[in-house]
Amino acid sequence: MSATTAETNVVLPGRASVLRRLARDKVAAAAAIIFGSICVISMLAPWVSPYDPYYTDLTIVMQPPSELHWFGTDNTGRDILSRIIYGTRNTLLMGLAGVVIGGFIGGLLGLLAAFYKRADGWIMRLVDILLAFPAILIGLAVAAISGAGLGPVLVALVVATVPLVARVARGSAVSIMEQEFMEAGRVVGVSDFTLIWRYLLLNCISTIFVFLTLRFGQVILVGSALSFLGMGAQPPMAELGMMAAQGRDFLFLAPHIATIPSLAIFVVVLAANLLGDALRDVLDPRLQQ
Amino acid sequence: MGRHIVHRILILLPALIGVLFLCFCLLQVVPSDPAQIIAGPDANPETVAAIRAELGLDRPVLVQFAEYLLRIAQGDLGRSIISNRMVSEELMSTIGPTLELMIGALLMGIPLGIALGTLAAVWRGTVIDRCIMAFSVAGVSMPVFFIGLILIQYVGFKWGLLPFTGREGPVWEGGLPNMILPAVTLGGTLIGPIARLTRTAVLEVLGADFVRTARAKGLRETRVVLFHALRNALIPVVTLIGLQAAFLLGGAVVTETMFAWPGVGRLAVGAIISSDFPVAQGAIMILSLAFLVINLIVDVLYAWLDPRVQRA
Repeated sequence: MSATTAETNVVLPGRASVLRRLARDKVAAAAAIIFGSICVISMLAPWVSPYDPYYTDLTIVMQPPSELHWFGTDNTGRDILSRIIYGTRNTLLMGLAGVVIGGFIGGLLGLLAAFYKRADGWIMRLVDILLAFPAILIGLAVAAISGAGLGPVLVALVVATVPLVARVARGSAVSIMEQEFMEAGRVVGVSDFTLIWRYLLLNCISTIFVFLTLRFGQVILVGSALSFLGMGAQPPMAELGMMAAQGRDFLFLAPHIATIPSLAIFVVVLAANLLGDALRDVLDPRLQQ
Repeated sequence: MGRHIVHRILILLPALIGVLFLCFCLLQVVPSDPAQIIAGPDANPETVAAIRAELGLDRPVLVQFAEYLLRIAQGDLGRSIISNRMVSEELMSTIGPTLELMIGALLMGIPLGIALGTLAAVWRGTVIDRCIMAFSVAGVSMPVFFIGLILIQYVGFKWGLLPFTGREGPVWEGGLPNMILPAVTLGGTLIGPIARLTRTAVLEVLGADFVRTARAKGLRETRVVLFHALRNALIPVVTLIGLQAAFLLGGAVVTETMFAWPGVGRLAVGAIISSDFPVAQGAIMILSLAFLVINLIVDVLYAWLDPRVQRA
């Protein structure tokens, strides 16, 4: 009986209907296409980029965009388009890692807080403490301890994501805990693990997923800001925030070196945000705020 | 009200201890053993141990942490490894400019965000609404440094309208031109989120019974929107501004670095890059404390705007 109650309570729109509803919203469809293309192109970086992103040619430094080099060349004569493609890949992977790891830990904490009332106070207090640190400060602190690099940036993104996800997951899980099927499951002797994994998580997953999609853009902004400050990716690695920082020194001579990577971040984050908004409207209108 | 403030301060205490402990850890990770450095490379182990004991480095971490807290309470944050100045002095001279920049950003971002959001809500569904919302989504997706780069390149360099490096003293002593570009850069990041939330909140309130009553008794629409709807819609907006304080501090670090603004953020970044641990520790501590204080102020403001919060 508990199983049927659970199933009737879960109103997850099927995958096909989600796609159909997304396609109806023109802005969302455009965002999905742009974001999808960016992902595909950047993941295929070694095959699609026209030049080696690390090959320097001092005879063609700081060239403006041309037919040979669509986005021009940077201060050491590297092809900016190729570096953008590789850089976008690194930036996207960094953001993805931050959101996935942070989402996993935060989601787990939130569900456990909702499930075990006794742990609730402790977990949420911890969450409050974590919320007291702005992401950029965490990045600065970790970079100060361990030296700059992608590691500190990832730690900062995860630590900044965990408390936010935990709050969302807990909020969603608390209302599920009040449902009768949770009580029923307990009565017929379903184990805690199964209750959390099969009943609680399954009912909260779309809320958490939508939140993480919305969070993705913010995570990329913070990550690239840290790289811009020199706390993240180190040269010669291609990463959008760091490329913008390097171009800053040549802003008045060749503004495209700094502007194009910044613009790339803007496009990626904008597409991710629009897609997240649309997904929220379709999957989880309650997250409106 | 007094009880509410005390309660909020108590909740902040664990976070405060966390911040201080993190900063304390920052001082522990100096790459090499300080006692060894003082003793010199040829010193025998007994001398090193003696110096370690003298510095208190052989005692339990918790005891050292307690001493660290005691020193902080006395305003002693150590000396910069590089300039040999007191860290507290460095902080005192940089905190002012940072606050100035943040206040400037808030003064620019909040009114503009609320105004745009209210306009979008009042003209819901029109072209104006759509433009404002498109503008605000773009604002949310813009890296802080992109706004800064564009302003420096055009307003500062090409058109030569405003200075874009350094600070020329306080605002009331002719420092205003230097502050405009950094403040606009930082404040620009606030407009998008605030406009978005204000629109949602105003739309929600415009459908409420008391707004219908206000209209029914014949008040003019501007009066209804400004005095009845907006005041109630501001409650969630105040919370948002508190949450945005995190972004604002982070953004301040980036903005200060870009515009060579002599604030705490730039101090922190410079100290980390040059491995000046005492300064890095002090700067990160001050920034975190500032964040906690802003949150406290927002909580109190929130309770004042919405007295129901105090009873919860």
